[in-house]
Parts: sequence; C-alpha cells; structure tokens
Amino acid sequence: MRVNVDDALRYAGVRVPSGMDRAAMESRAERVLSLSPPRFLYRVFALEAGENGMLLTEAGLSLPGALARKMLSGCRKAALMVCTLGAGFDAMLRAAQARDMAEAVLLDACGSAAVEAGCDAAEKEIAARFPRMYRTDRFSPGYGDLPLESQKEILRLLDAEKRLGVHAAPSCLMLPMKTVTAAVGLADAPQPARIRGCAICALRERCALRQGGTSCGLEE
Amino acid sequence: MDWKNEPVLLLDGAMGTALQKKGMRPGESPELLNLTRPEWIREIHEGYLAAGSRVIYANTFGANGLKLRDTGHTVEEVIGAGVRLAKEAAAGTGALAALDVGPLGALLEPLGTMAFEEAYALFAEIMAAGKNAGADLIAIETMTDLQEARAALLAAREQTDLPVFVTMSFDPSGRTFTGCTPASMARVLEGLGADAVGLNCSLGPREALPLIREIAQNTHLPVIAKPNAGLPDPVDGHYGLTPRAFAAQMAALVETGAAIVGGCCGTDPDYLNELKKMIAGRTPGQGGFLPCAFVCTAARPLPIRGVRVIGERINPTGKKRFQQALLENDLDYIVDAAVQQMDAGAEILDVNVGYPGVDEAAMLPRVVKALQSAVDIPLQLDSVNPAALENALRVYCGKAAVNSVSGKEESLQTVLPLVKKYGAAVVGLTLDENGIPDTADRRVEIAEKILRRAEKMGIPRQDVWIDCLTLTVSAQQDQAEETLRAVERVSRDMGLKTVLGVSNISFGLPSRLMVTQTFLVRALQAGLTLPIVNPNQKEIMDAIAAHRVLSGEDPKCERYIARFAAAPAPEKTPEAGQMTLRDAIARGLRSEAARIARGMLRDTEELALVEGHLIPALDQVGADYERGIVFLPQLLSAAQAAQAVFEEIKASLAQKGGAAVSRGRIILATVQGDIHDIGKNIVKTVLENYGYQVLDLGRDVPPERIAEAAEREGIRLVGLSALMTTTLPAMEETARLLHATANPPAVMVGGAVVTEEYARRIGARYARDARAAVEIARKVFSP
Repeated sequence: MRVNVDDALRYAGVRVPSGMDRAAMESRAERVLSLSPPRFLYRVFALEAGENGMLLTEAGLSLPGALARKMLSGCRKAALMVCTLGAGFDAMLRAAQARDMAEAVLLDACGSAAVEAGCDAAEKEIAARFPRMYRTDRFSPGYGDLPLESQKEILRLLDAEKRLGVHAAPSCLMLPMKTVTAAVGLADAPQPARIRGCAICALRERCALRQGGTSCGLEE
Repeated sequence: MDWKNEPVLLLDGAMGTALQKKGMRPGESPELLNLTRPEWIREIHEGYLAAGSRVIYANTFGANGLKLRDTGHTVEEVIGAGVRLAKEAAAGTGALAALDVGPLGALLEPLGTMAFEEAYALFAEIMAAGKNAGADLIAIETMTDLQEARAALLAAREQTDLPVFVTMSFDPSGRTFTGCTPASMARVLEGLGADAVGLNCSLGPREALPLIREIAQNTHLPVIAKPNAGLPDPVDGHYGLTPRAFAAQMAALVETGAAIVGGCCGTDPDYLNELKKMIAGRTPGQGGFLPCAFVCTAARPLPIRGVRVIGERINPTGKKRFQQALLENDLDYIVDAAVQQMDAGAEILDVNVGYPGVDEAAMLPRVVKALQSAVDIPLQLDSVNPAALENALRVYCGKAAVNSVSGKEESLQTVLPLVKKYGAAVVGLTLDENGIPDTADRRVEIAEKILRRAEKMGIPRQDVWIDCLTLTVSAQQDQAEETLRAVERVSRDMGLKTVLGVSNISFGLPSRLMVTQTFLVRALQAGLTLPIVNPNQKEIMDAIAAHRVLSGEDPKCERYIARFAAAPAPEKTPEAGQMTLRDAIARGLRSEAARIARGMLRDTEELALVEGHLIPALDQVGADYERGIVFLPQLLSAAQAAQAVFEEIKASLAQKGGAAVSRGRIILATVQGDIHDIGKNIVKTVLENYGYQVLDLGRDVPPERIAEAAEREGIRLVGLSALMTTTLPAMEETARLLHATANPPAVMVGGAVVTEEYARRIGARYARDARAAVEIARKVFSP
C-alpha cells in the first residue's frame, strides 16, 4: 500500500514542498502504515432503481438523490465500504498535538492520505473479486446531494461498530477520526469518470484549497 | 449449578445470527424482541440448552439507556423481560441465565466524548436491572475499550454480588480496536475483580489461539473463548467454518488453557453440539501464568523486569512554575512535563498534585485523564489523600501504582483496601507511628508488616513494592548506608521490588548530581529496581544505561550503543551566539529561542520582551505565511518556539511572584456535536503564542456551557469551530446565547464549512485561519 505524499503535503498546506518535506512525509507515512494501518470492510449488494433513489434490495437501504442515481443507474451491483485508520491513529495524533502542533498538522494530513490509500486497496480487492465487471468512481455521503446521514446506514449494514470499531455521532461525524465510508457501483459496461472535480463538491464555496487556487487533486 | 465445578464450561452460541434467521429486519432493535417476539427468544435459548449449553446469555446485549432512549421502553423493562425469558428456558435444566452486557454504542474519552462517570451510570442501571430480574451471572462481552470494560465491571461489582465474566474483542493484529493488549486486559480485569476473562467475537478459533495463550499467561482466572465461526467473507458476510471444523480448532484453545467455551457470530446449536462432544472428558491445559510485578496502560503492558525508571517531575514541591500551573488549572503544562520525561526515558510517571489551595481529590483524577489522553505510559499515583487516590484509581485506565502506604495503622487501613479494590500495585514506605527507623533491620520489619497486611487483604506479593527511604546525606550521614542495606535485604531476602526516591540524597550539597549519581549506582547494585529520578538529567539516565549493560538487561549493549551513537557531539554552528530571537522563532528552534530569551530577561522587562521582540517576530512569520512564503507547519513551529519563550517569561514572573502576562482572555470551543478538534487546537497554539490566555472548553461543548463560561469569566472574545454542516445549527445557537448575555462578548467563528457570509449572518466575525484569529483578537483587545 502506498500513501500519496504529494496529496498529504497539499492537505497540510505545504504548497511548494522541498525534498526534505517529501522525505519527512514519506517516513511519516511509513510510520502510519506500520503503527495504524488502514483497515476496511466492504459488502456487495444487488441494486435496483427505486422510488426514493437507488435501492440495495437485500440490505433494505436506498441511496437517495441525483448523485446516486447518476452514478449507479447503469449498475447491477454496488459495493459499500468503510475504511479507517482506527483509534491508534487518533492516539498518535493526540500525542503529537501534546508534543508539536506543526508535526500534528503534518501527521493529520498524512492520515487523510493514508485512509484514501486504504480505500484504494479495498477497491482493488473488490475489482479482483468481480473481474468481469466495471467500476464507477468511488463516492461518499456528503458528495453532491448524497446525504451525510447515509453514513450511519452504511456503518450499520457493514456492522462496522462491531467489526471495525467505527462509530458515528448524531452529527454524522465518524470516530475514529480518519474514517471514510464510500460506495462503488459495479456494471457490465465501462463507466465514465463522473465525479472528479470541484463542480460536484459540497465544499466548493468554502474550500481553502480552491480559494488558494489549487484543488484536492480530485479535479480532472 | 456451580459454574466452577465444570471442567470445561459450555456457554451458548450467537444470538444475533439466530434472530436474523428468525426474520429480524435490518436496523431493528434485537432487544425489543424480548417484548414483541418472546417466542423467538425462548426457542433460541431452548436450542442452545438442548445442545448442552450450561450458561445461556439473555437477549440483553444492547439494552442500555442510550440505545433504548427513544424507544419508549425502559432498561428495567427490556432487561427484565430478557432475563426472565432466559431463566424460564433454563428452569429445570440446571443451566444458568446470564445478563449479557455489550458496549454502550458511544465512545468514551479520550477517543470519544463520553465521560467515564457517564458510562458507569449507564452500566449501573443495567446491572441493577439484571440483578432485580434474577440473573445468575453477568457476562460483559465484545468490549473493545478497556476503559468501558472497567466501567462495566466496576458497576457489576458495586451494584451486585453476582459472578462476572468479561470478554473483549480483538482483531487479527492481537489488539482491540482501541489498542488494548490481551496482557493488559487480563491483568487489569482480574485486579478489578472479574471472575473469568477472555475473548469473544471478531476472530475464528484459529486466529484466537495466540491471544488465548497470552491471556492465560496473565491471569489466574478461568479463561473464556467465545470466538466467531471463522472470519466472514467480505463480499456477502457469511462465516466460513463448519461446526466440526470449529470444534476441532476450539480443542486447541482448550489445550492452551481456555476453560469456558462457546461461539459468537455465525454459530448455532449445531456448533454447540460439536463443542459439547469435543469437551467431553477434556480438562483445560495449564495456562502457564507468569507471576511478575506489573503495571500498564491499555496499550502498554509493563512487566517489571530489570530496572524501570519512574519520573519524578510531576510534583509541585519546590517548583514555583508548577505550583502556578496547578493553581491556574493549566493541564497543558503538566502534560508537557510528562512528554519531556517520557522522551527522556521514563517508563512510569509519578503524579503528585498536592499543594495548598489545590483540591487534590478533584485535581488528581483530572490530571490522570489529561495525561492518559496524550501520553501512553503507566502512572504512579502519589498522594496522602485517600479520596484523591480513589478518584484517580477509578478513572485510571490500566493498572496503576499507588504511592504510598506506610506502616502506620491508619495508612494501612485506608490505602490497602483501595489498592485491593482497584487492583493496583502499591509502594510501601518503611516508616510507622514512630517515624523512620534508623536501622535497616527495623525498616525491613516494617516492610514485612506491610507485606503481611497486604497479602491478608488479598493483594499479591508482587504488587507490593517497598521504599526504604532516602534521607539527605548532608543531614544524616550514617543513614545512606542503612538505606542501601535495607534495599538489599528487601530485594534479596524478601524478593520484593524496591522503589527509591534517589534525588533527595544530595540535598544541600554542591555538585549534587555527582552524589545523586553515585548513590543511584550503589542502590542499583543493592537491588533497586524502581528508581524515582529526574529523567531529564542526562547523567542519571547515562548511569542507568550503563547499569543495564553491566547487569545484562541490555542484550548486546544495543540500547547503550544507540544512546551514545545517536547523541551528536555538541557542535558549534557559526551562528550560535549570533542568532537573534527573531531568527530562532522564524526557524522554529524552541530551545534556542528559550535560551536567547533567558539571556534577554536579565536586562529586559518581561512585557517589553513580549511587545518589542516576540510579537514582531511572530508578525514577520505571519506576514510570510500570508504571502505564501511559509506554510502552516512552519507557522506552527514558529508559534511553538514563541511558546518556549513564553515559558521563560512565565517562569521569570513566577519567580518574582508577579502577575502573568496576558494580552486578553479568549474562550475557544468546538461546538456541540463536533468531535474533531485539530483546527481549534491550531488556533489555540497560535493565539497563546501571541500572549493571549486561552480557556479551552474542548470539543462537543453545549451552547449553554459556552455562554455560561463566558459570562462567569467575563470573557470579551469567544472563538467557535464547526466542521460539519450538521453542526452549524449548534454554532448558531451558541452565538445567539452569547449575544443574549448581559455583556455580550465578540464572537469569531471558523472551520471547514463556515463562510464569511454565514459568520455575518449569525453576528460573528469570520476567522479564515489562525492568523485571522490573531487579527480579530488584536482588534477586540486594542485599547
């Protein structure tokens, strides 16, 4: 598993990283992967279009809204996943904050990139299990009009509290901190890239990266 | 039936899996089925009883006040129904009905926001309901946070007299999700009075084997194994092992010492049938308990083998700055003292917060919580106040040491019961009503008395550590040798671990360090295992490193070599001595900045240093940050170098007894519902280093608390952070309450989802980042 250190540096606000910055982020990433590696769960459900959005029949869950419909309309199945760095990373970050806030900011960013790497690994595993199917982009609650509340449903369906130690607060914030839930559609035909870019992002108006003239890297 | 009489006790299998088969809908509360579908529950119990289960778990796993809150049903009602169904099913079979207690479904501090006391109250309600309904025993299971398991076990112990089984759930790395190790779990829960400990769920029996071994090596208690039917298939969630394969793998666990067995997710009566056949005629293997002195946190077990360094610096005696921090409730300062000692090689930290004007019974547990959230190191709770000790032992997550009990009757009677109840280790001081004896013989006699009394209470002898007491050699020169003789005898003849506060030996002498170091080396030679020292003194830690080489504790001298190979020769950089405070801050050099500030304070007033040097230096870095020349991490490094300068200023003022430098007091909080707080902490770091005093109310703070604190403290500026759209209403409500106070403070807001327009709409100023927060503070506090 590889953490994208350029992403990590960008998340930390280091716009023009030096070689030393990159090397330090590499070793930070190594430490995160060894002490608190990403862990993930996923399950694959059959899919049908329902009145209130895309319906995962067996799970009794619908993913409401235009985004889910657009993403999944050509799909037979959808994989739901959750990936987390676990409580160990939160403890590392608390310890770093007590020691050195600058290091904490860099570590925090490194964690964000590491959990993405975990999601990539989960996706790769799903792809290997369904070699003849094509995947859509990965998308998460909070993107576009997919409500944050879907997070709780995904966690419940995956039994993530018991199997991964992931909890959602009433505000839909998840703990441990570096946790991502996501969905990926599986189709019989190739799927276009649809959601990359600021245009679809819910944080568009307030994104610090965008205000600074860059993006989080998801833009095409 | 007495559960202890069965050679291998057979529990039951999964409840959740069985309910799904019966037709429970996704998202439905399993526990409410006790009321709506009692026949399902009864049938499931009967199935397991027919397969030979001797203990069945009532359908009460998630029946707690939190999960039942909006269901219209009470805990008493749901647990009462569940326990009664289990009892009815078990009637006439001789099997026992257990109250099943799972995790609350909310995370405890420091990972989450639920306080230990709140968790305890929820568990107390459950335990009382189970007892009233007539449960035969209590099974606390699937715990992943040792602190939550402790809260549940304490509640079971204090609310009932029933036997208590506790199992936690580990992942394939051998730890629970929160990092708890099997060794820590077993030692802590046995110490706290569990009747059997072990693991359930999450793994199949094969993966559980090394964990069962580790648990058995760390407890005298019967070991429980209630794993899943293998690991689930990720795609469809089905468990892989057949009943026969499951039972075959379980046999290895019984051989390794598991004496209580059952199944968790994916198992059904067929699995139990096979288990029953497997255990017939079998007795569990010897677990191989390893007795040793031991303290721990959840994630860091620390068997006391060889020398273990106890850091002495968290103690206000003779330290003006520390006293000030205590009186001002400045926990960050205390955490910092802990971090420094840990980095210098301390393995246990002594924690003493006793000082006139400090409410120790409230302060000691508060400090324990703050330390445990930031540093992972076992603590030695140091107090003469039994209430402070008990409050701290209650919240300490792990196995602590208590410093101390003495040979005085009153001390023995008040301290030892606490040590026993909370399963701690204890330091026994060799003094009694007649003071400190001046012979080694008499000190050993007191040590023997303390050990006798402790063992009589049921405290194992390896948990009794003896302090033979260091007396100042310049005052009582003959006593140094007596102390060393006593250490030798306690260590060699009684076989106990010894503790010694070493630094005291040299009080009042010049070149203290030389005397302290020599005394330390002699004490180690006499058998001292737990020296209490200042680990920040390099020479002291050097002596311990050398001792570890000579005693063979440092195999191949690896640690010694690493210690001295890593330390670069003090190198004279060309700029050393020429560097200005501004350079040191801009480059984020903490110790250099502090050194320069110390020099400047000899002829510069504290306030002049702040206004004339510190702030301009920070402004320069801030301006570079805004121009995109330096980035957030460097901005924070500079802020921390400035913090080191502030420490010098505070120390200088504390020495003179002057008032603290404060350019204004600001409340910061992350609003209710929001639990991620790194953004707020960044702002705090930067504001503090501009000389503002920050009252950090923490995260997930209700609007009323913020308004109340602002009013009570007469605060002029409140900073609020929110990360999610879902928590913006809480921000708005907080701003509204603040505006409605008699003397409304200015409000600034920030966070990922906050915009300038939103800020304006709720009558607040928008702090885009930490720098902007400083500018707002400047305007608010400008004269």
